[in-house]
Amino acid sequence: MFISRDPFNVIIGGVGGQGNVLASQILGEMLVSQGYVITIGETYGASQRGGAVMSHLRISTKDQFSPLIPEGQCDLLIALEPVEGLRILDHYGSPRVMTLVNTRPIHPMDVISGNAEYPEVSKVIAKIKELSRRVWTLNATEVALEMGDPIFSNIVMLGALCAIEVLPINQQGFELVIKDLLPSRTMDENMKAFNRGREVVQEFY
Amino acid sequence: MSSISQNAPGKTVLLMGNEAIARGALEAGVKVCAAYPGNPSSEIIGTLAKVADELGLHVEWSVNEKVALEVATAASFAGLRGLCAMKQNGLNVASDFLLNLNLSGCRGGLVLVVADDPAGVSSSNEEDSRIFAKLGDLPLLEPANFQEAKEMTKSAFEISEQLGLPVLIRSVTRVSHARGNVCLDELPQSRPKPRFENSLRFHALPAVLNHKLLHEKLDRAKQMFEESPFNFYRGPEKPELMVATSGSGWMYSLEAMINLNVQERVGVLKLGTTWPLPESYVLEHLKKADRILFIEEVDPFLENNVKEIYAQNCLFLGLKAFFGKASKHIPDVGELNPEIVTHAIQNLIQVPYEPRPADYALRAHEAAAELIPARALSFCPGCPHRATYWAVKIALALDGRDGFVLGDIGCYSLGMGPSGFGQMRTLHAMGSGTGLACGFGQLNRFGLEQPVIAVCGDSTFYHAAMPALANAYYNGADFLLLLLDNSATAMTGFQPHPGTGSTATGKEAPVIDLKAICEVFGAHVEVVDPFDVAATVETLLRLLQEEKGVKVLILKRECALVSAKHQKRLYQVEVEQEHCLGETCGCNRFCTRIFKCPGLMWDKAAGKARIDEAICTGCGVCTRICPASAIRKEKA
Amino acid sequence: METGEKVNRGLKALGEKVLNSDQCTACGACLSLCPYLRSWKGRVVKLDNCNLEEGRCFAYCPRTEVDLDEVYRGFFGKSYEEIEMGPVRKIMMARAKDPIWTKKAQTGGVVSALIDFALREGVIQAGVLTPRDGDLLPQGKIITNRKAVLSCAGSSYVSGPTLEALNRGPWKGQERIGIVGLPCQALALARMKTSTLEKKTPIDRVDLVIGLFCTWALDYKPFMAFLYKRVSSLSIKKLNITPPPERILEVMAGKTLSRIPVDDIRPFIRPSCRVCLDMTAELSDISVGTVEGKEGWNTVIVRTAMGENLLKRAKKAGVIETRPLPKDNLSHLKEASLLKKRRALDALKEMGEIEKGYFTLSANLIKCILSESGETLP
Repeated sequence: MFISRDPFNVIIGGVGGQGNVLASQILGEMLVSQGYVITIGETYGASQRGGAVMSHLRISTKDQFSPLIPEGQCDLLIALEPVEGLRILDHYGSPRVMTLVNTRPIHPMDVISGNAEYPEVSKVIAKIKELSRRVWTLNATEVALEMGDPIFSNIVMLGALCAIEVLPINQQGFELVIKDLLPSRTMDENMKAFNRGREVVQEFY
Repeated sequence: MSSISQNAPGKTVLLMGNEAIARGALEAGVKVCAAYPGNPSSEIIGTLAKVADELGLHVEWSVNEKVALEVATAASFAGLRGLCAMKQNGLNVASDFLLNLNLSGCRGGLVLVVADDPAGVSSSNEEDSRIFAKLGDLPLLEPANFQEAKEMTKSAFEISEQLGLPVLIRSVTRVSHARGNVCLDELPQSRPKPRFENSLRFHALPAVLNHKLLHEKLDRAKQMFEESPFNFYRGPEKPELMVATSGSGWMYSLEAMINLNVQERVGVLKLGTTWPLPESYVLEHLKKADRILFIEEVDPFLENNVKEIYAQNCLFLGLKAFFGKASKHIPDVGELNPEIVTHAIQNLIQVPYEPRPADYALRAHEAAAELIPARALSFCPGCPHRATYWAVKIALALDGRDGFVLGDIGCYSLGMGPSGFGQMRTLHAMGSGTGLACGFGQLNRFGLEQPVIAVCGDSTFYHAAMPALANAYYNGADFLLLLLDNSATAMTGFQPHPGTGSTATGKEAPVIDLKAICEVFGAHVEVVDPFDVAATVETLLRLLQEEKGVKVLILKRECALVSAKHQKRLYQVEVEQEHCLGETCGCNRFCTRIFKCPGLMWDKAAGKARIDEAICTGCGVCTRICPASAIRKEKA
Repeated sequence: METGEKVNRGLKALGEKVLNSDQCTACGACLSLCPYLRSWKGRVVKLDNCNLEEGRCFAYCPRTEVDLDEVYRGFFGKSYEEIEMGPVRKIMMARAKDPIWTKKAQTGGVVSALIDFALREGVIQAGVLTPRDGDLLPQGKIITNRKAVLSCAGSSYVSGPTLEALNRGPWKGQERIGIVGLPCQALALARMKTSTLEKKTPIDRVDLVIGLFCTWALDYKPFMAFLYKRVSSLSIKKLNITPPPERILEVMAGKTLSRIPVDDIRPFIRPSCRVCLDMTAELSDISVGTVEGKEGWNTVIVRTAMGENLLKRAKKAGVIETRPLPKDNLSHLKEASLLKKRRALDALKEMGEIEKGYFTLSANLIKCILSESGETLP
């Protein structure tokens, strides 16, 4: 499998604390081991405290690109949270974008406090569909909670990413990377999360 | 095994900019590395700490940036190579030493990396550190990507040794906190032995003579930079427009050229050695174009310095038009991105640019405006700071004298925002909350009746608040210092500090007890667990009303993110639906509307509060605030 | 389009009109009903805005808009018309017979003796009283036995949120509660009883209200700050104001007795007392006060059937003895009571219009109160 454009631009977005940095690092490592030239720009620091966060991945066979993707040039959006997905499409989406979205909302403080409304998730997904060429959905948080810890939702999303076959990645590649990156005692659970993500993701029509 | 310690020449790995800088230092044979953590610089030393034992280095988290620079400088004086890293604010702290060190010179290669945070995403300010290179007559390098970050760092050690001067490397967020492919070189195996040559002297005196010598060194640096591989030009021989750029601007400029498809019309002069500028090299390229656009982050440093060179040589260069921050083609504050650069170039050479269909953009904006709620920063679920500010808010209200909180730098700076109930009123430098309190604590003699509270984190305390506390006692200031002891430098990634009992490399270290220090400094000290809100409120009120002079309340509770790594959650928390009176309670959603921990949510369908089990970490603080006692906790 | 903002009758208005306008009596009626209000050292503090349009805090407060006619009709079945000292069934002098009560009490010990009797007889199952032992800061306490009643005997001249204890409970099945309170607290209780708001407090369980005569109460925090400057010891055991014409505050602190002229403590009278119409705790079943010139006796006004019944039984059981109140005392009492009303009206006049005060009364009644004779016009 190859990338369909060069550079192929991926955004992983969500809320601080959902593990977007780790997800982008794992994905980046998987692609580097395939020989791709990768650039990743990510949000660190203060925004990790409950704010909207993004990682930008540029995948190329030849060049390094800017760590920030220009307006309207996202090819694949991996949204760890539904309205964050929509927020990213607002600036980075285009008719060519494909979106993989975790349907489980995380309420912003303004919603918790009642100063703002969180829209119906189905409405958000429908809008995402309107703005994307293809959409896949899963409740990765629920899957992770079933496993006993919401911390695995980013790994569930990577499993789903593998299943939709948009990027040249596979389970073996994932296994090799997490062996290096993550503590060995979590290996089994991470593999389980990855495989659960592969199983439950569905294309949304 | 960490990829930065592999001795695998030719291998390509994915490295964060900060890791690339660390690797460059390793390839240069660095032996001593010191820093105080600060975004976006923290991972430089953090990465080196992980491989310190394996590679035989000394790596430390120093208590502040000035000490860190002194530690690294000692290595240099002893003939070893030393690395020091910091964020822009850190350089302000270290600058007192640095602006003597420039005159005294150094011996072994000494590199000071400063990672600027344009837009102040994770900072209390926005600042361009490059001015310090000019101020101190020191060589400055600006990496434009990850490979270069490594190469430049390596080269900086060579330059430093050749000149006998510390060399500055200025990175920015999008270089330091981005990742990309980096091809590794060899790691040296040498084991130099440190020795202080007693025949040498390191000091600035006589200052004028040394200043002159420094200028001579800088001239030599200028000569060296004429041939630097970090400066290059890409583009046509006679471009319609020449972009002159450094650092992150290089990648954005390239992106813009591709976006606009103007590679045949626009050239890019990428400069990596930005102080002193290689004058002949710059002049050579200025001849190429009549219109020059500067792309750089934060201040017009490159822009002004190039213009200065032009002014000296304008008679034979002829008329040129310069664009950039001065001409308002590029914003003179905040962070750059590919769009800003694309639009600036587009504007100057008039090419069409439509990043995506206009109707799509319109639909996307409409959807966003209709559906997306804002997402403000917030303390993490289970954060002890939320409980602390909650108690402070209650205590100040009950006290009734309109007391106020002087803030400081750390996660707890979010005390200015809604998740800290807007309690924090000031934010400046490290330790400034306590310093300001020293001043406010004297104003009662003029009739100030409001209680004065300063907040300070544990790491910040060792960094800069200790002198302020000593000052407070000595001069008899009257205030309450809240030491928010979460046992980590949390904001920057949980680095250890003198109070945590471990070092940067994970070794056991003696604990410098906060309470003991404060007592030695003459303060009345008490300790409380902020999760016990009632006790905290009661203690706050007692200290505010009954004690005079310097009081310290240590709010001791480990950072929730650190706790999560090594211990089970405290409680399983649940909102018992049959007890929550919901909309009919009269509390008007007190738990979510006022306390608003992200672990709570309002279930619209049920009209009742609920715990978000994906978020709640089980601290149990909210169980006390429900008037119907519907939020229950059970030992997990 | 005109939307016409709805008049707030909740915490927002309470904050503006009472708490921030120094009109709080610290009665405690608004406390422990919601998480937005708390008291500390005799002050009621608003911690946040609740954003509700109406609330019990506003509805029960003795210093928010109140139609006195409505409340008196709800409590007594008749309007606010007995302007001297409210509805009176009987008035007399009384004192407790058991010295256990008279020894500690400042006067005749009638209040403690009646509460104790009511508890023993099962007329009430619990009482909400204000302990006088320990700190001078009044706090309500639920009591169920004689020992506890004894700890509540005496007075402190400082107001405190006694009624919070009623709201807070916990009420473990006690269905009949007796409360001893100041006039402002009696008004708050009557407002609770007659409130039309859906949400209740445990007010329906309150069967007996014994009101205490009151001319003013002190604000705890500034008063204590003043006291500690005047007396040497930190442990203040007892306060007593000697009868007129002397009027000296005796403070027993440690082992020394300090004597402070009452005029020195007047600055610490709660501003909310200056607009109070009620000296004799009119909205009570029984009101109790001192008798001028007759140490060891209480003036007792019986106002309701419940009160009359209790007093009769107590007398029969030999718990208290009574005597007729001398004519002079009665006329002095009426004078003093009317004087308080007049002063309140004057104070309101000074602050603005009487009509904008917290209560509504007919212009006719106001005129009567202000007139020298105090006679009700036909």
